[in-house]
Amino acid sequence: MTSLLIYVALAGLLAQTDPTEETLKQAIGLHQRGDVEGAIQGYKNYLAVRPNSPLARSNLGAALARTGRYQEAVEQYQIALELQPGNAGVELNLGLAWYKAGETQRAAEAFGKIHEKAPDQLQPTLLLADCWLAMGRDKDVIRLLTPLGEQRPDDLAVAYLLGTALARDGQIVPGQIIIDRILRKGDTAEARLLIGTTKLRAQEYPAALVDLAKAVEMNPKLPEVYTYYGQALLRTGDAPHATEAFRKALEANPNDFGSNMQLAILLKEEGKVEEALRCLRRALQVRPGDPGARYQMATVLLRDGKADEARADLEQIVKESPEFTEAHVTLATVYYRLKRKADGDKERSIVQKLTAAAQAKQQQGINIK
Amino acid sequence: MKLSRREVLAMAGVGMTAGAGMLRGAEGAPLFEEVPASVSGITWTHDNAMSKEHYLPEALGPGVAFLDYDNDGWMDIYLVNSGACDFYQPGKGTRNALYKNNRDGTFTDVTEKAGVGGGTFGMGVAVGDFDNDGWPDIFVTSYGKCILYKNNRDGTFTDVTKKAGLETPGWTTSAVWFDYDNDGRLDLFLCSFVDYGSSAHLSCGDNKLGKRYYCIPRFFKPTASYLYHNNGDGTFTEVGRHTDIARSLGKGLGVVATDINNDGRMDLFVANDTVQNFLYANRGMVGGKWQFEEIALAAEVAFGEQGQPRSGMGVDAADVFGTGYQDLFVANVDQEMFSLYRNQKDETFRDAAQANGIARSTRLLSGWGLKFFDYDNDGAVDLILANGHPDDMIENYSPAVRYREPLLLFHNDGGKLRDVSEAGGPAFGRNWPARGLAVGDFDNDGRLDVLVGNNGGAPLLLRNRAGAGNHWVGLKLEGVRCNRDAVGARIRWSAGGVVRSRMKTGGGSYLSSHDPREVLGLGSAGKVDWVEIVWPGGGKAQRVEGLVVDRYVTVRQAV
Repeated sequence: MTSLLIYVALAGLLAQTDPTEETLKQAIGLHQRGDVEGAIQGYKNYLAVRPNSPLARSNLGAALARTGRYQEAVEQYQIALELQPGNAGVELNLGLAWYKAGETQRAAEAFGKIHEKAPDQLQPTLLLADCWLAMGRDKDVIRLLTPLGEQRPDDLAVAYLLGTALARDGQIVPGQIIIDRILRKGDTAEARLLIGTTKLRAQEYPAALVDLAKAVEMNPKLPEVYTYYGQALLRTGDAPHATEAFRKALEANPNDFGSNMQLAILLKEEGKVEEALRCLRRALQVRPGDPGARYQMATVLLRDGKADEARADLEQIVKESPEFTEAHVTLATVYYRLKRKADGDKERSIVQKLTAAAQAKQQQGINIK
Repeated sequence: MKLSRREVLAMAGVGMTAGAGMLRGAEGAPLFEEVPASVSGITWTHDNAMSKEHYLPEALGPGVAFLDYDNDGWMDIYLVNSGACDFYQPGKGTRNALYKNNRDGTFTDVTEKAGVGGGTFGMGVAVGDFDNDGWPDIFVTSYGKCILYKNNRDGTFTDVTKKAGLETPGWTTSAVWFDYDNDGRLDLFLCSFVDYGSSAHLSCGDNKLGKRYYCIPRFFKPTASYLYHNNGDGTFTEVGRHTDIARSLGKGLGVVATDINNDGRMDLFVANDTVQNFLYANRGMVGGKWQFEEIALAAEVAFGEQGQPRSGMGVDAADVFGTGYQDLFVANVDQEMFSLYRNQKDETFRDAAQANGIARSTRLLSGWGLKFFDYDNDGAVDLILANGHPDDMIENYSPAVRYREPLLLFHNDGGKLRDVSEAGGPAFGRNWPARGLAVGDFDNDGRLDVLVGNNGGAPLLLRNRAGAGNHWVGLKLEGVRCNRDAVGARIRWSAGGVVRSRMKTGGGSYLSSHDPREVLGLGSAGKVDWVEIVWPGGGKAQRVEGLVVDRYVTVRQAV
């Protein structure tokens, strides 16, 4: 992805003799030389005198982002945009700060605004697609990137993102076309990852494991490679190594939704409640309101003896997703623990109805020998 | 009270060689050693009827049992086989087998003489003295037709299924004899598996290898299990239809009868495959009818922690944590992990599998037969698990999962189970297509041995060599007012300043039936201070003193 931008172009225009402007000039100098903490202090000193400088606000945001203080960076970018609405560079930096902070939905909103104004700009479009992939909006990614894929058939980044979305959406044939396009470039980690995820989708777990292991070997830094490798390991029965893979995925990208979810479930099984909760909170930052993540959160809370905390969320989940059988099961358990037998019995009755319906559905399409 | 000579019946030949010295094995010796067929004489093998069509009943057997059919004080062995059914016609020689214990470590096949060869597509076996005559009877579950063999007290049996009213249709699996209404007669709970169709059978098509495979039971219709009341005249009446037992449609594979709430009535825990487990709380007579209330969801033993039904197969119950309440265990298939449910004393349970190393050890395994038992006679219940994946082609889809799987052994370290399988012996280092498992002391040395039924293969007999230096007392309980087998009795004993307790549960494991005697571990204590028995139906505890250690004795209910 792009690095954060530092606006230095106007520095030469600054008055040489104004001591306050000299402070800004020195801060920019420190920033350029890599003394980020010095630069931050310099920008703050300058803004204490001239708080309405969009340049200083934006540069401070960039410096803060570089030290990982994304929330503070976001605040500075937002002030800069209030002072100078429509600044494309600052808007991109704001989106990147959200992205790095794990606020994927907000990042997507920021990149989406840029994409609306300038649909031909490749970088914000790809960033938007990447956010949507993280949010599970695979169909939106396909809609966004299909025209771009036709215009730029040799662009590996476009092919990779589009191919991933197609594979996830179960569109095996168009996904295969994209994979073939990537394969023409040689046996790459990207191609192996795409093939592996397609096989995962098709429930060909041992075969998927082979491709994903190769992808990890070829490029362990490829985004999401450890996530899918972990899933293949888990599906083929190797939970300990799956746990390791999810941890590596999160080292590379702490906001990886899938790895946060899978690792949380494994950690819960091992009784590591606090760590599981941390993963789930992160997952919910990436996909706010995701019912699966909220459900897992509720099960962890229940395991931790916090039945009443779990109850509120479960009630909302079953309201939003009335056919989520597991949530009804857990809500019934919560009610029984809270000595609300009538409510528990009501949920139990729903579980029985949903189970019977699922059983009837299972039997459809079975052949008679 | 003190036992009189008439009450203490030292069983002929029993314990004569079972001094403490025998318990001292060589240091570092394996806990269990395999007794090969060449030594035991048990040459019978299970015919699983495996076909290219992969009919599901092929994958589920067999059950095994320890029983003393001739009342000579030595445990004999019964083995269940497949047989003729609507999709299989076996060759000559496929039958169940009864092996008589020759009291020297060998067995003789007496099936033909005894008349217990079966002839149905057998699944499991439940042994119980349903007519209280002091001779164990045999109930065989099947895909197709159950059989009740009444013991004729002369080494032979008679098929009384029809006369008894137990001609149960469909596909039955595990069964348990227990006295649900405490009327002194053993009743019968019978797990019904799925509706497998009549002449046609459901198929799930071909797998990724282009071959037929064992259909996941999820695809089959669930069925209701059966509860038969013993009328006391050799007949039974199905009474489940008035209770939650008939209302709960499941796919029952394992059942254990125990008392989860210490109310003196036997409850039932049923493991179901791909649907929720059932816990039937025995509520007694309500409104003129005997009632069982299904409470598994409220009790937190119905589903896995993710809120999903699992593939429950083997079950058992015991007071694992020494709280005076019965804990539960259920084995599932790979990736689901097994559960050890700790009793919270309020008809609810919490899964303690993770804290006891069970979850980690069983993640990749599929469990069937299992038993809580004190393998080293230190007084605390340990655990053995027999495993094997139901799908013979599983290794093609899940490289980390095996069709044949290892046995697992857990030792109870002061209320915490620890995986000690590595010390179990060579048999624990090998993989088996295990299904049924029964525990029994076939050589009467006070150390409980193990019998495992392997799908499509020879059974595995393991001689227990553990517990060197520990002492024991073996009880054969004889009910007089209660059921003769004393299923449901509570036993307390004091030795070495430690008081322990145990309940004589009914059933458990998978398709199998255990030695009916209770071996009480005394640890290093050289004497037992007293033993107290509360017989089923309640009443004052019967105290027994002056018991000689390292011996089996019969204790008759005082009236």
